[in-house]
Amino acid sequence: MIYTIIGLYILGSFTGFIGRKISYSMAIIASVFSFIAGFEAKFTGNTLSAVFSFLPGITVGINIDSLSGLFLMIAAISWTAVSIFSLDFGNNYRKRMAVFLNLSMLGMFLILTAYDALTFLSGWEIMTIASYFLITEHEGAYKEAFQFLAFSELSTIGLILAFVGLNASDGSFALTKIHSNSVVFLVFASLAFIIKMGIVPFHTWLKEAHSKAPSNASALLSAPVTLMGVYGLVRVINITGYTHVWGLLAIIFGSISAFWGAMEAAAAKGLKVLPAYSTVENNGMILAALGLSAVAYSFSTKSTLYEFAFLTAVVLSITHTIAKTLLFLSIGQAKEQLHAENIDNVRGIHKSVGKIPALGILVSGLSFSAFPALLGYVAEWMLLESIFQSYQFSSILDRVVSSTGGVLLSLAMGFASFSMIKLIGYSALGYHHEKKAEPMPTFFMNTAELFLIIMIFGISFFASYLFLGLGYSKFVIGALGVPQGWLLASAKPVFGVISPAFFVLVITALSVVPFFVYFRNKSTTKKVTSWNGGLALKEEEYFTANAFSFTIEHILRFIYMTKEKVNKNRSYVVVSDVFESFYKYIVTFIKKISYSISIFVMNGKVYFYILYILIMFILIFVVFGEMFA
Amino acid sequence: MKSWALYGITRKLTEPFKKLEENTKKMDKIFSKSLNIYPIDVGNNGDLNFEMAALATPQYNIHRFGIFFADSPRHADVLLILGRCSEKMIEPLKETVNQLPEPFSIIIVEDGTDFGISARNLDLPNVIAYYDKKLEAGEILSVLLNITGDRK
Amino acid sequence: MRLLGVFEKDSKELLILQDRNQLSLENINDVKEDFANYTMLKNRDKHIGSKAVKGNGVFNFRYGPVTGGVGDAGVFNIYTYGERILSVDIDPGYKKRNIEILIKNTALHQAVNWSENVCSNFAFSHSCAFLRAVEKAGNFRSDEVTQRIRIIGIELERIYNHLHVISRLSKGASQNVLASHLEGLFEEALRTNNLFSNSRFLKHTNGLFIDKNNFKKLDEVALKVKNVEEKFRELYEHSLASWNFIDRLYKTAMLDQKKALEIGVTGPTLRAAGRREDLRVYEKFYDNFKIITKDKGDVLARMQVRAEETMLSCDMVINQIDKIKKMRQNHNKIDESSISGFGMGYCESPSGLVLYSVNMNKGIVQDVYISTPSVFGFKAFADSFVGYILTDFSFSFDSFGINFADCAR
Repeated sequence: MIYTIIGLYILGSFTGFIGRKISYSMAIIASVFSFIAGFEAKFTGNTLSAVFSFLPGITVGINIDSLSGLFLMIAAISWTAVSIFSLDFGNNYRKRMAVFLNLSMLGMFLILTAYDALTFLSGWEIMTIASYFLITEHEGAYKEAFQFLAFSELSTIGLILAFVGLNASDGSFALTKIHSNSVVFLVFASLAFIIKMGIVPFHTWLKEAHSKAPSNASALLSAPVTLMGVYGLVRVINITGYTHVWGLLAIIFGSISAFWGAMEAAAAKGLKVLPAYSTVENNGMILAALGLSAVAYSFSTKSTLYEFAFLTAVVLSITHTIAKTLLFLSIGQAKEQLHAENIDNVRGIHKSVGKIPALGILVSGLSFSAFPALLGYVAEWMLLESIFQSYQFSSILDRVVSSTGGVLLSLAMGFASFSMIKLIGYSALGYHHEKKAEPMPTFFMNTAELFLIIMIFGISFFASYLFLGLGYSKFVIGALGVPQGWLLASAKPVFGVISPAFFVLVITALSVVPFFVYFRNKSTTKKVTSWNGGLALKEEEYFTANAFSFTIEHILRFIYMTKEKVNKNRSYVVVSDVFESFYKYIVTFIKKISYSISIFVMNGKVYFYILYILIMFILIFVVFGEMFA
Repeated sequence: MKSWALYGITRKLTEPFKKLEENTKKMDKIFSKSLNIYPIDVGNNGDLNFEMAALATPQYNIHRFGIFFADSPRHADVLLILGRCSEKMIEPLKETVNQLPEPFSIIIVEDGTDFGISARNLDLPNVIAYYDKKLEAGEILSVLLNITGDRK
Repeated sequence: MRLLGVFEKDSKELLILQDRNQLSLENINDVKEDFANYTMLKNRDKHIGSKAVKGNGVFNFRYGPVTGGVGDAGVFNIYTYGERILSVDIDPGYKKRNIEILIKNTALHQAVNWSENVCSNFAFSHSCAFLRAVEKAGNFRSDEVTQRIRIIGIELERIYNHLHVISRLSKGASQNVLASHLEGLFEEALRTNNLFSNSRFLKHTNGLFIDKNNFKKLDEVALKVKNVEEKFRELYEHSLASWNFIDRLYKTAMLDQKKALEIGVTGPTLRAAGRREDLRVYEKFYDNFKIITKDKGDVLARMQVRAEETMLSCDMVINQIDKIKKMRQNHNKIDESSISGFGMGYCESPSGLVLYSVNMNKGIVQDVYISTPSVFGFKAFADSFVGYILTDFSFSFDSFGINFADCAR
């Protein structure tokens, strides 16, 4: 199985040079196989393994255990959808995109299934480099791609240091069992993974790269690639065990990140900048949930909170991966067909592009705003329940951190709703621009979107089965008239309950009468355009998305650093991300320094180069000689 | 110094109102309990607008008859067309009529001047009353009470 | 020196200038001074306000022509990128009735009727300005009683207009009790008008000669005005103690004196910006008149000026009625058909200066140019509203006491 999948991905990347369709089809098949492999590992308890000795004492290979299986399944859903989507979407791009898409998925497959650190690292690099080339497929995206590469390599360095630490602590590179409490490993690995997740302050690359990349690549980058970060963190916890301080830091970073991402999303005007910031927010939530789990574990293992918080992180990951893939794919389709970059310019996708992409934006957007009956609702309910239960903590520090984090997370949810309503209202719905979408084959794009829409509804409806399948039968009960197995509880003994399935049933039952009345009176309903003072709206009279978020930008001007530029005939509002300005400052600083050094060193005199090489040679000998002596 | 609330309840400005019989078509009886009117200025010389302001004064207290000013034609039962139509107002007037929910009625009150076009010549539907002279606030109230028939 | 009007005649561009109570008509080539409001006055029937603003996210929040809020046919093109107002461009064309053209070649009494129909709530001011212009053209003056009755008319008009403006302001600030009582006073004032002149808007009363004997109920009028004044004084003092109310008006839609003078705005708006200017001081029969000024230039200042003027006007009406009752009036009938020539006349209406420039030929109006306070008022509104937010619309707009009927003629 494992060899088949790897083989298929490699074959897929080679066939990319021949034909796009074959290559993407290979990716679909491989992704489906990956899902099956993950399913098998997760639910049948079989560990799929292909391990061999590489060097004396170093074993490398592939090993799909229960945890790998879980994340493999989540990622495979996204891969499958992206591959199907690319069957149509890829036509607009060069053939090599298919190659890199396959390679990128192969890299992620290796990460998720790596038995050891070396395989993990090779997967990491394959993914990074393939993603880099995917971003460059968009014309003029070199700067953004480079930024992505810079941050990715930063996390690679972190990983290398972490694995050195791991090896130093017990001489093993294995990732599959609890065996180390190396602080070096914990710190550097966590750092590497949160960079990949785009946690604040390491989120600026994410916005740039995700919004510039071709949309299928954006989906891939935003959902499964950042999922690798989550997987990595869970792996780290698996190796070192829960650490209290790590948990506190995770809550702090996670909640700030969630708040910051949501807040920046609320002010975002770019069609893909907004979902990119939403990724920052969601990954922040996941990190905070993991942190809460760690803190709860150190507090007491008797309480079910640590398990529930961990489950929350998993469900949040599932939600984010599926909904974000859907969002990027739907928006990508609209963006491609309408040739527009801003939210304002794509109004009325449901008319101009199609019902399914519009539904895709609607469903994923509502899921991110925790709309009942959608997967995001379950996930955010779980997160809130986890936060509420932190009242149990006995330490003041834990309480302060978890409740402050809780406040930030709740604010983040509010901002997320705001931004998603903006996105949905101004893109999927809203008044039609009379813009014509460029015709292109959409069958596979629509199929991919529909597949994900069904997943969002389906997983939410059968959330209790998901809980049971993941082995958390203690959180599935039956009470309040809901039969056994359909009610989700947030703790044992029961703290809070919810039944997404019954919610759907009740709402459906209750809406029968209104719908009946609506359809009966449909013929007598008078339909007119919106009331606008007696005249039809002209193009420049539509309420803009910028205006929608201006109020928030004005109220929070000290965070956004809002600047109103009112000139004679041209006025606009500038909102900036503080961290971006910080990085910009660093970049200019480094540029200046490197320029002066280059003038000093690379001045075209041969003896100077030789001198330089000599000094470096000696330095390396001295320094490393000292270190290993 | 009294609070506004005390100031308000210690004074009564409402006057008894005797409606005049007007020869108008009648609306459905259901509107005798609640009637939302939307006045639209189509180019009058201003006094009908001021009579509308006067109609809202406590002396007439139109709320006791269940009459209210609607904020949008979409909420209105009766459209009060005030004045004679200037050329540029014909299209907005037609759009306003288009926005009225069914069933609706239209009352045309002109201001006795002869500039512009009479709204009567615009083929508007459901015109139940037409006055080519200016009406005062009390007279307008009479008309409104007449179109809905008897009320308690 | 203030520019009040620009018009073309015999392919010459003429400017109407005002310096204190002196009006003059000048050829544009003879005037050295540059007037900031020249372009605005030239285009007063098409655009009043500033140009459209462009930029990221900027859109035109069009308000009108059919609104529940303003209730007057006209369009406000408000450019904004959210709440902040960037520019306001007003199109008064929806109410254009071409009265200046309709008034041509009509006999005097018909022309007075037209002038009253420019804008009903300034009907008396318009007819006064028109008749004064006619008097100038015919080079004669109406008798003292007629002039004093005109003062009563003008001041009654001021009272109900000011009451209306203040009640609109209080309604905008959700001061519902205050608003209701002021509305009640407003209706009372309209009834007083009716008692005085058989017209709620003081129409069909003004003329070159106004017969004192037509006014039988002057005592009742005086009593009613006194009553209105007392009640208003009580309400006004009460309202100034309300924090919520004052806070909404204070520092809203500020217009400083320099800007106000540039625009050419007159009346309470100018006086609220600190300028001691009211052409009533030059009139012979205003007794005990004093100019009321405030210096902040915001909505509150404009409201204060109007409120104090209301009370002053009440006193003046009562005073004039007292005087008229004791006076005798000679029936010196004026031969209307003999009036020929050119004349300009003004009247200090409740919202500013109304000016008529009239050419008469044997009692028939040849041509007329009307300068109305609302044109300047709309420009003042458009300029002072910039930088504020949409919620301030009703205060800002209502505080100028302007309307499209007056503006578009």
